[in-house]
Amino acid sequence: MRRIIDNDFLTLLVRIGVGIIFVYASAYKIVEPGSFAKSIWYYHMMPGSFINPIALILPWLELLVGLALVFGVCYRGAVVWANLMTVAFILALSSAIVRGISIDCGCFKAAAASSESAWETLWFDLVLILFTIQLFLSRSKAWMLARH
Amino acid sequence: MKSTSSQLICLLLVAMFLGLVRNLVPANSIEYIGNWRTLSSGDEPIVPPTAGEGDPPFISIDVAQMEHSLGEAVFIDAREGAEFECGTIPGSISIPFEYLPDENIDLYVDSALGGMSKDRDMIIFCSGEECDLSLHLARNMQDFGYTNLMIFFGGAREWENFDLEIERRTECGE
Repeated sequence: MRRIIDNDFLTLLVRIGVGIIFVYASAYKIVEPGSFAKSIWYYHMMPGSFINPIALILPWLELLVGLALVFGVCYRGAVVWANLMTVAFILALSSAIVRGISIDCGCFKAAAASSESAWETLWFDLVLILFTIQLFLSRSKAWMLARH
Repeated sequence: MKSTSSQLICLLLVAMFLGLVRNLVPANSIEYIGNWRTLSSGDEPIVPPTAGEGDPPFISIDVAQMEHSLGEAVFIDAREGAEFECGTIPGSISIPFEYLPDENIDLYVDSALGGMSKDRDMIIFCSGEECDLSLHLARNMQDFGYTNLMIFFGGAREWENFDLEIERRTECGE
């Protein structure tokens, strides 16, 4: 098991795949922070004054983490952030589902234009976290721009 | 470990910097601290952040319930037909905003309302706080000349949460 997790080629594939997902997910949010703020508001999980700062900062964090994973720069920090953000997304979606809030999650598109359901995205995130955990556990340091 | 925590902080600081700088660009910028409602209490109407000047007034569950019991106002459900069938405010008329025809929308709405007077009190609603359909339908109806519109933004969910009667035409799963 350890050898599979540490496999250089597997780790590279997962790094690039997860990195691209984070970069892709950040795109609309960076362009339309207002729509993303509204998506966050729909979850009713935090005080209103926190919503806009998160809508402004989180997309850039996603972008930086995605790029850091792909290129292997600030790698360990990016892996930890990828895990933390994925856990946060899972908790938010689960909470919305439990409370019966039928939302488009706003994960990849503005909520109003999105067709993804909370359930579909929750399953997606549950698969995603398996990959981010693999990155967290892997000791592979191959094909990275910066030495770690 | 120290390296990981410094990378964590470094990534966050750069993201904060980029986010704040990006917001200096006027296109699609937002206020740094928004004015978002946190909870619906039943005392005050729920007003969505997308509401604008000139929109019809938003009413609370209390006003919606009072109007319903008076029986004067017409309730309009803006959700799709399947949701309307599953459970709606009793006596509501279905005008599913997402399925309006591409042309002659005004004639379609007039027909759905049976040609009733355009100055009649009308209360438009959809699912709840995450749903903008009632707002969009109300704006369209304003353009068509309806003058006494109200939006009950708490919608069918708030109505049901207050244990008010729901009219179900078909049995649907949760």
